[in-house]
Amino acid sequence: MSKTVLTVDDSRTMRDMLMLALSDAGFRVVQAVDGVHGLEVLNGEPPDVIVTDINMPRLDGFGFIEAVRKDNRFRAVPILVLTTESDQAKKDRARQAGATGWIVKPFDATKLVAVIRRVAA
Amino acid sequence: MSDSGLKLPAVLDLNAAAPLRSDLLALRGGPVEIDASQVQRIGGLCLQVLMAAKATWANDGKPFEIVSTSAPFLESLKLFGLADPSLEPAQERAS
Amino acid sequence: MDPLAAIKVTFFQECEEQLAELESGLLVMQDGAHDDEMINALFRAVHSIKGGAGTFGLEALVRFAHVFETVLDEMRSGKLPVDGNVVAIMLRAADMLADHVRAARDDGTADEERSRAIAGELANLCGISADGPDEVVEEIEGLDFVPVAFAFDDTPPPAPEPEPEIAMPAAAAEPEGPPRETWTITFKPRAALYASGNETAFLLRELQRLGDMDVTVSAAALPLLQDLDPEEGYLVWTVSLVTAAEETAIREVFEFVDGDCDIEVKSARADASGALDVHALIAMATAAGAPAEAREPSPAPMPAAATAPEPDNSDLMEIIKFIDDAKAAVAAEEKGEIAPSLPAADMAAPAAKAAVGQSAAAAQGGAGGAPQAGQTIRVDLERVDRLIDLVGELVINQAMLAQRVAECGLARSSSVAIGLDDLEHLTREIQDSVMAIRAQPVKSVFQRMPRLVREVAAMVGKQVRLVTEGEGTEVDKTVIERLTDPITHMIRNAIDHGLEKTEDRVARGKPAEGTVRLAALHRSGRIVIEVSDDGAGINRERVKNSAISKGLIPANADLSDEEIDNLIFMPGFSTAATVSDISGRGVGMDVVKRSIQALGGRITIASEPGRGSTFTLSLPLTLAVLDGMVVSVCGQTLVAPLTGVVETLQPKASDVRSLGPNGTVIQIRETYLPLIDVGVQLGYRDTPLLPTSGVALLVEGEGGARAALLVDTIQGQRQVVIKSLEANYRKVPGIAGATILGDGRVALILDVDSVLSAKVTEPPRNQTLLAAAG
Repeated sequence: MSKTVLTVDDSRTMRDMLMLALSDAGFRVVQAVDGVHGLEVLNGEPPDVIVTDINMPRLDGFGFIEAVRKDNRFRAVPILVLTTESDQAKKDRARQAGATGWIVKPFDATKLVAVIRRVAA
Repeated sequence: MSDSGLKLPAVLDLNAAAPLRSDLLALRGGPVEIDASQVQRIGGLCLQVLMAAKATWANDGKPFEIVSTSAPFLESLKLFGLADPSLEPAQERAS
Repeated sequence: MDPLAAIKVTFFQECEEQLAELESGLLVMQDGAHDDEMINALFRAVHSIKGGAGTFGLEALVRFAHVFETVLDEMRSGKLPVDGNVVAIMLRAADMLADHVRAARDDGTADEERSRAIAGELANLCGISADGPDEVVEEIEGLDFVPVAFAFDDTPPPAPEPEPEIAMPAAAAEPEGPPRETWTITFKPRAALYASGNETAFLLRELQRLGDMDVTVSAAALPLLQDLDPEEGYLVWTVSLVTAAEETAIREVFEFVDGDCDIEVKSARADASGALDVHALIAMATAAGAPAEAREPSPAPMPAAATAPEPDNSDLMEIIKFIDDAKAAVAAEEKGEIAPSLPAADMAAPAAKAAVGQSAAAAQGGAGGAPQAGQTIRVDLERVDRLIDLVGELVINQAMLAQRVAECGLARSSSVAIGLDDLEHLTREIQDSVMAIRAQPVKSVFQRMPRLVREVAAMVGKQVRLVTEGEGTEVDKTVIERLTDPITHMIRNAIDHGLEKTEDRVARGKPAEGTVRLAALHRSGRIVIEVSDDGAGINRERVKNSAISKGLIPANADLSDEEIDNLIFMPGFSTAATVSDISGRGVGMDVVKRSIQALGGRITIASEPGRGSTFTLSLPLTLAVLDGMVVSVCGQTLVAPLTGVVETLQPKASDVRSLGPNGTVIQIRETYLPLIDVGVQLGYRDTPLLPTSGVALLVEGEGGARAALLVDTIQGQRQVVIKSLEANYRKVPGIAGATILGDGRVALILDVDSVLSAKVTEPPRNQTLLAAAG
């Protein structure tokens, strides 16, 4: 059964990239453009995995993750943050917010899919 | 049997652990038969609840049995190092 | 288009948007206003450019963006105060970043020297100790340049065979089987592991992929059910893993849960205590006994690829292969899994679409947040144009239907006629809505101007402030695209010629900083663009003398101020003693005027000595339809654009006078205007129509030249869909295009200006004529 991935990123380039890599790998992909939008989409379409950027307008990745975890329905959904290698502080903060893991940018399709597979049911 | 049976939900993840514990505690004092035929996946926390329940029932001297299983349920038990639905840790069996 | 190439196009489009946002934010900051959210937005813009650039392996861009981002991060965290100097450097950096983006887009290179210099300035802001700018840049570059994975490089790929160095060891190892080692992994998950969405089952599953695994679990710490916290971890797992994988691959499985569990990874070899590891032995025995094929081959390439060292120089083929690999891996995984219980595959696509639609709708209805790019869809322009074409056909078809019904003699009050009226109404609405799809705010053009102003101001040594208004004003995309050049030229002109030198301004008691204002607004169905300056205004004496000396007007010409001002639109006119580097460039205001006219627009000047000048462009909102007056000439149907028609009148014999052999003028109130017989002008007839038997259209061309066009009859007014004659036939003098009327006949659209210019050549005609008429 194909899994649904929700991607939250304000960059169109990144959204397209995620869409290409994930849909090619057989995932269903649902996309949102920032944290607020992500929460809206989440309610309509409970995903198997969430991939989110950190730096976004309106509601950033940390705020988004915290809000997702506060909702009982989504406590167990794996959340991966997109981050850059050097951002140890960001990884820690994302983990504190409730992130499951991270994907280091720039990523390639293989790595992306491997990481998602690692945390997905 | 109907009043001492418990049918497990399809997904036994983080969210399912606390309700599962409550449901089982409510059946405490009598024999229990667990129906795991609908289980699609089970995580570490629910495994703990089931294993703790098994031990608790054993302590009480009451039967606790998993009577019906799905393939994913058995697969998961194997992955967790449990050979069968008796929920006996392999290590303890071996020793 | 290749999907990745398409994403690259998107990336550069997005870069432009982010650059514009960056610049406008910095400009606001320059005015002293800033808040955290603004600095955040600037950071995001640069961060996002860097992120995409990294994905596409655009190294120079990544490097520069990284330094810039670092400075913005400092500013964001409050370590770097916002002041004029910092913002000035950042504005230069924003321009440099733009150059990098365009260089990357056009496969060129940006000015490296300038880039280094600016990067150095940025680095100094961060307080990174600088031995020299170059070292600083290098230092920062070293921080975090991640090898590119998704790159499609401009350099030709070294070899089509992907990743030989990765494949080699694996291939070499295959016949013998890789050197396998036994690892013992003991781990005890804590509550935090589960709370973060991680799962012991998945960790075990990942370990299992690495090799042969034997798992035991200890429930020694497990309390009875009543004492159990259902979300705490009590069980301890011991995994014996026989694998060819490195320790790093094992550690990687636990990467996300490091700190959320107690873990120990030991190699059996290192653990040379001599004690027999029963599980390891069993595992090895099992491994040895199993047939080679049974060792599932698919997981092996996966970790290898995932941990592959720098797939540098990866080209498109390689990327495609990556994706294929990923696909295969997922497929392999799915096969290995429990059979799905739902026919998901064929349900997935529509469901996903529905979800996207839903999310878009949700976003729309969402809590009225900031406008978001995500609430739009991108559509191929061709499709929109096709739709516009079709709607055009619909309009024509509807008109034809109406005409046929009318010819049947049905009453206006008949239900068919009423229904047709409704249809016409609906058709108009559809047409407006479709046109609105192509409408875009002029922001995209306006945003390019601040940089231009900075550059031109620096070049001529003037202090200039650009004020923009009405950026959100919408106009057809085609019009927008053609606005850039005229606006650019007018702004250059305003700074170079309009504004006085700083010292002159100060001497006149004006602020040292000159102001150039760029504004857009809608006015009676057209878009109006104004470029004004607070400079000295047009020096009419000099303009007139210049025109006389160039032989453009007779030395004794008596011109009104307005007419003098309009001289600067004459071909070959330039007031600057030497053609300056700025406004010169071989383009005069006459070219600006022509390009505006080509768009069906007009340009006018208003100037006040000592106070400045204002150039006003007025353009149609769309180039696809126009409101026209349908007229008959010699049995032909023509359409005159309504924007050019001032009034219509029935010529009286007493108002018409002959002037010379072929010239005719008509008196309209106090003015005499040339009366042009359109039939003669277009070659439909040789003998002019008797003026009193026709109708005159008083038209005004661009720049205010007026004339009366004589036609046979007026049929009415209607909106027509413009079909290009040039595209379908060839350019015809006097004709702007064609349209199809309700009766199915083709009607030509008059090009009022070219009809006028054929007749009206010498500028100061009215006065002369008036004088002659006495």
